[in-house]
Amino acid sequence: MATYDDDKQHLSSLFEVGAERLKLIGDNAKVLMQGYLTGGIDPAALNERTLRRLINARVLYQPDDSHELKLRHPVTQLVAALVTDESRRAIHADIADKLVSIRGFVEGLREAQRMGDSLRVDSQMLRIDEAVYDLTAQFEEAIYSLWHRLNSNFGFVSNLSDKIRENERAQQQIKRLIDGMSLIDFDELIELAEGNPTLRKILVSRLQQQMSAHHGSLLEVQKRLVELMTRFREQQERSLLVLNMAGFLREHPGFMVGDYSYRTQVPALVNCAAPIMPAAAVGLDKPEQQSDITQLVHTLYRQLALKQKTDTSSVSADALQGSVQSTAAQQAVEARQQQLKEDAMRYFIHVCEAPEPPSALAFLAAEELEWPPEVWLFQVLAEYNALPRQEQKLFAITRDERRISVFNHVHIIEDLAVRFKAA
Amino acid sequence: MSTTMSASMSVHGPLVEQLLEGQFICAITNEEYFAKLQHDDVREGIDAYLKPLNRRVASNDDNSVYFLAYRDIDDPAREHLKQQLGVIMSSLLPLLEWLTYVQEAMGSDGILTAGDTLKLQELVIKTEDNPSLRQRLQSLASDKFFGSSADSVDAQAKQVAKRLVEHGYLVQPHSSRLYFTVTGKIDYLLELVRFIKDEENIPLDDYQNSQAQTELL
Repeated sequence: MATYDDDKQHLSSLFEVGAERLKLIGDNAKVLMQGYLTGGIDPAALNERTLRRLINARVLYQPDDSHELKLRHPVTQLVAALVTDESRRAIHADIADKLVSIRGFVEGLREAQRMGDSLRVDSQMLRIDEAVYDLTAQFEEAIYSLWHRLNSNFGFVSNLSDKIRENERAQQQIKRLIDGMSLIDFDELIELAEGNPTLRKILVSRLQQQMSAHHGSLLEVQKRLVELMTRFREQQERSLLVLNMAGFLREHPGFMVGDYSYRTQVPALVNCAAPIMPAAAVGLDKPEQQSDITQLVHTLYRQLALKQKTDTSSVSADALQGSVQSTAAQQAVEARQQQLKEDAMRYFIHVCEAPEPPSALAFLAAEELEWPPEVWLFQVLAEYNALPRQEQKLFAITRDERRISVFNHVHIIEDLAVRFKAA
Repeated sequence: MSTTMSASMSVHGPLVEQLLEGQFICAITNEEYFAKLQHDDVREGIDAYLKPLNRRVASNDDNSVYFLAYRDIDDPAREHLKQQLGVIMSSLLPLLEWLTYVQEAMGSDGILTAGDTLKLQELVIKTEDNPSLRQRLQSLASDKFFGSSADSVDAQAKQVAKRLVEHGYLVQPHSSRLYFTVTGKIDYLLELVRFIKDEENIPLDDYQNSQAQTELL
């Protein structure tokens, strides 16, 4: 009974001390984190009392006589594991040590069983369970860390040669982990668990199951690491090739390669044929294709017309004003043309109605129309010529002409007179 | 036999045209054509079809890019190959300089490789912030291969990218957006560089040391 009380007391004091120290770490989290990142803590950053407590709690220590304080290894490891800082994480797979302690616990258990101390039996069993859990957790943590490094492509170091070094380190770690695994002798564990089903379950079936799963993951990580390493090496080789060749060419500007193309065996990489443009033109010799060609030509005309339209509009239009403006200008021109045409028509009607029909120019003056005389005469003549043949017969057109020169037969039309001839 | 062949060829018509035009076909330039070219029977069909033109389908060592080679290497072919190699050699230094410049500017692990994406705006921003990168871009852009006479980083980078698209090293998936994808032709170029290094016994390993020394100085 005394041991039980002792244990209980020990546990409760352990609890209190632990909680107190964790709180101590929490209270000084920022200073400690600063120390983690910079590698040291200036004692001036903390007051005397806190400093002493941190040193007593084995959180900090003062190496040799230097002024600076450092984080103890387990604290650094704790932070590294919490923030998955792969460059600082170290995973110890001290399997042998753990196996020895498991063996010790089993012996203790047997002893307690012989003495009939059921409480101690229970507590020993608990310790064995924890030790086994520790053992597998170690592997689990290591494998997690390995995957993390792999998946981040070793992004925690900056250059390729560091990545290659980290990859090598990770591969060695896997080797150590697998070596450690081989230390677990299941025959021995079966013997240890002899006659105790609970122990057998903890030491043999569960452990075996977990270990085989971990072994599988380790092999998978290993395979992937080797693949990644190959890629790293290839990248390194390419970078060096490019860098060095560029350097070489810079220093040897006149460098020429050999006459590869005049060798009996032309190197495959150099044999890259000259391009051939597969051109074709319309063939008119196949009557059965004529309808296709006709269609092609039609679409071509349409496209050409479209192109011309856009071309002319883009030419006439000021680049800034755009095509809207150009259609407006076009509309204005069309409207004037229409007006001219209508005025000419009015002259013809006037000729039909008036008893003494005036000449075209006289009409222009009388009506005070704005058209230039020449344009006006052309329009009247055009209007006359545009009439249908029968209607043309209803009008007589006389030209007031003047011969321009004795040497040729060019006549200038001075005026036109249209007369209506009733049929 | 000949009818079936010409029938199967008309299926590959556009593909054959691209090859004839001297294009390099990889998974990036045209995924569909590239997939077709990976089939032995398709390549054999095209080879047979192109035989009268003295052409056959060729690829680089790891079959990541296809192009046309001469079937029989006669004298005109030799002369063309020689000239072509001369052209490549004269553009090699600016191309390699561009590759190292991009690697450094983007802070990437490796030299650009087929399928990598290049965001021009990002490259421009990183270059503008760094005088040494700016100078490197300036000097390589003004090389006659890239032929830029512009003063601004933006215009230089655009001209360089334009030339690389023309030469088939980059493709621009959307003409309005300034991002580019690296084609398999870059891999071809690097294989050629490796080949030349081996053929000409260029001591590049010693080179690295001497360069490291000059960098230290």
